[in-house]
Amino acid sequence: SGDLYCSLLNPRNVRFESVNMRNVLHWSAPEGTGNGVLYKVKYSVYGVGKWIRKPECRNINITWCDLSSETSDYEEQYYASVKAFLNGMFSDWVETTRFNPLTETKIDPPIVSVSSTDKSISITLTAPEKWKRSPEEESISLLQVYPGLQYNVSVLNKKTKKRWFFSISNHTLVVPWLEPGTAYCVSAQIHVPAPLLDSGFSKEHCIATLKDK
Amino acid sequence: TTGNKIFHFGACRVSMSMAEIRAGFTAIKANIQARDPIRTLSILSYPHSLHKVKSSDRCCITHHLLNFYVGKVFKHCKTEDLYVNRKISSIANSFLSMKRKLGQCHEQNRCRCGQESTEKLKQILANYEGLNVTSAAMKSLGELDILLDWME
Repeated sequence: SGDLYCSLLNPRNVRFESVNMRNVLHWSAPEGTGNGVLYKVKYSVYGVGKWIRKPECRNINITWCDLSSETSDYEEQYYASVKAFLNGMFSDWVETTRFNPLTETKIDPPIVSVSSTDKSISITLTAPEKWKRSPEEESISLLQVYPGLQYNVSVLNKKTKKRWFFSISNHTLVVPWLEPGTAYCVSAQIHVPAPLLDSGFSKEHCIATLKDK
Repeated sequence: TTGNKIFHFGACRVSMSMAEIRAGFTAIKANIQARDPIRTLSILSYPHSLHKVKSSDRCCITHHLLNFYVGKVFKHCKTEDLYVNRKISSIANSFLSMKRKLGQCHEQNRCRCGQESTEKLKQILANYEGLNVTSAAMKSLGELDILLDWME
């Protein structure tokens, strides 16, 4: 007599979501299932192909699993897969598309700091760091990952509403010949020309030039 | 064309429309990679990533890989999807143009092939010939971002 087994519908929308190379596998629960569904996760390096289980994501009831550690070599590409099970029923393994951390991560805006004199403002920009396993681990700036990284900087004169845009490669910018005693707001974005990646713009940092002496 | 950028490969300097190629590949990447079920082998990265290649061998490897794609890959990548086919031929044309430009420098003997690059190219061809032509070509096309990441 054949073994009777019931299959569970598959997890849906299995994909990597990556920010600053923090690579997290996400999925949606099988359709029509409420609570109680558990999941397990495995991953593989493209070209090696051996599936490797992620122990911390075995029998979990949440619908995400952080695979940053396992996918931290951004010169490699990866697949990940999820299986759902409930009351003795289980789904198929459902895979992601091939994940390329280098071209598919999202980049946070740069950190912006500004200071002013009476006629100029100085802007310092810091690219975000690549995800790291622990605070003790050595920090790697995304500038090292993307050597061609540039900054697009917007400077707004709050009084006249006039706006300037600058595109720079180094991380400091001095904007001269400004009006004393005037508020200026600065916002910046990261632009990586190859592979093409853009962050959003940072929130605005406003500062006033000093009054005339 | 717009979006051309000068690339340095050893002593050779070549202007390439990389952004155009990237955009074309990104548009069909999921479609092409879905046609490649073989996870255990990579044409370009097996056993070692292209990124491990010495910079002095960059010119030779780029020259031969452009020839490889133009000569062995694109022509075997016909699909039933017209949109995908158009993107493939656009990428192929860009590669043809790059191949010609780099070829001129190669003929002027400024694109030396060292022992490491010769070994690497042999491995790539062995990986390719280890599969049937269509699978090998489709897999190679699906790995275009590996090549572009390395070239850039």
